[in-house]
Amino acid sequence: MVRQARSETTRRKIITSAVELFNEIGYPATGLGDIIERAEMTKGALYYHFDSKESLATAIIEGGSVHLAEAFRSITASSAPALECIIHGVFVVADLMSTDQIARSGMQLLRAFGEFNEAAARTYGGWVAEMTERTRQAIDEGDLRGDLDAQAVAETIVGSMLGAELLANAATAGADVMQRVARTWRVLLPAIVSKESLAYFDEFLARESMRHSPAPVAD
Amino acid sequence: MTEQLDRRADTTRLQILRAASRQFARKSYSVVSLDDILADAEVTKGAMYFHFRSKHALASAIIDYRAAVARASVDQLLARKLSGLETLIDISYLVAVEDIGDETARAGLNLLESIGRTDGLQGDFLGQWVTAFAAIARKAVKDGDLVAHRDSEGIARLLVSMYLGLRQTSNLAEPERFLRDLENMWVLVLPGFVKPDRIDYLNEFIKRRTAVALKKAAPL
Repeated sequence: MVRQARSETTRRKIITSAVELFNEIGYPATGLGDIIERAEMTKGALYYHFDSKESLATAIIEGGSVHLAEAFRSITASSAPALECIIHGVFVVADLMSTDQIARSGMQLLRAFGEFNEAAARTYGGWVAEMTERTRQAIDEGDLRGDLDAQAVAETIVGSMLGAELLANAATAGADVMQRVARTWRVLLPAIVSKESLAYFDEFLARESMRHSPAPVAD
Repeated sequence: MTEQLDRRADTTRLQILRAASRQFARKSYSVVSLDDILADAEVTKGAMYFHFRSKHALASAIIDYRAAVARASVDQLLARKLSGLETLIDISYLVAVEDIGDETARAGLNLLESIGRTDGLQGDFLGQWVTAFAAIARKAVKDGDLVAHRDSEGIARLLVSMYLGLRQTSNLAEPERFLRDLENMWVLVLPGFVKPDRIDYLNEFIKRRTAVALKKAAPL
């Protein structure tokens, strides 16, 4: 039992050090030797957990993805209407990107590996599947238009959120991701929300963006 | 070894609390007998007296238990980071759905009304409830939903009174009626402290909560 706990601590330390280095000097420039040095560990200790830089990257991608998925699920598990949970959940996840180092690093690695890593395919697939369950619910509840295909909407949402994050990283090192997410939703809403619910969700989105904007509310 | 015994004692205690709640949820305090609870809980008289010296002690324990559960639920709702006012609305619907369908919840609030007054139990529990709500109301001011200079503690006391009063004037055994009455109360009360331009949105928010609650609420 104690050995397991120690082993888990070592594993976590390796991941944290790797994340720091990937953020500081980038994935290509980081060598396993650098990670060993940063983690203050032996070569043996590292190789016990990870046999290559790529397996380390996979672990970070999966770890980061789990954090984001849990955050999203904790919102959508609530008893609020599905579309409210989707929008609120997406904002909570976007927020997490600026505070959770592992999630951030995981996303960057995902983008770097995209086409070459199975973890990437699994991760994106998982997110779309989860989102599709929610969009289906939102269609059933009448907030999304009845003629829409749940999976197509889910892919559009996940795709445009990833895109917003990508553009934010390129333009402002991620600083304006919340505003971009809000702008994307303003464009999306009229395309997917049912006529009766549109006014409500315009307001819902406005309130959500305001809560995440840096400016304090006067009055 | 003692850890195992402690755990077993905890389970027995909880078993008794749940059996007692089943009784107190449906019958008034004076009418409930310890024998009924004993039979339901399937514990010995000795085990019962080890944990609870009297019916009153049992009732107090249920109230305390519910207070802890309620605090945890409120923390969970706050963690979702919705606006203050939306959180207050969500809390009231959560309390309503549990009051309708959960025996410990119903028992806890019934007992608070029947025996709570005499020992200051009511004062403690409700005092905590009001304090928690007042903090969330202050957040609602910062969110820009409330009219300026409204007294947060007054609003909190109003909302708590509102719910407790509704238990008397409506009927928990009829979930649809109870939830619609709750909705009506919120809609009537909002203009008292909410900015006029937010009211339409919040009315819609409240109606949606009623719709969700109706799906979840299953009577005792």
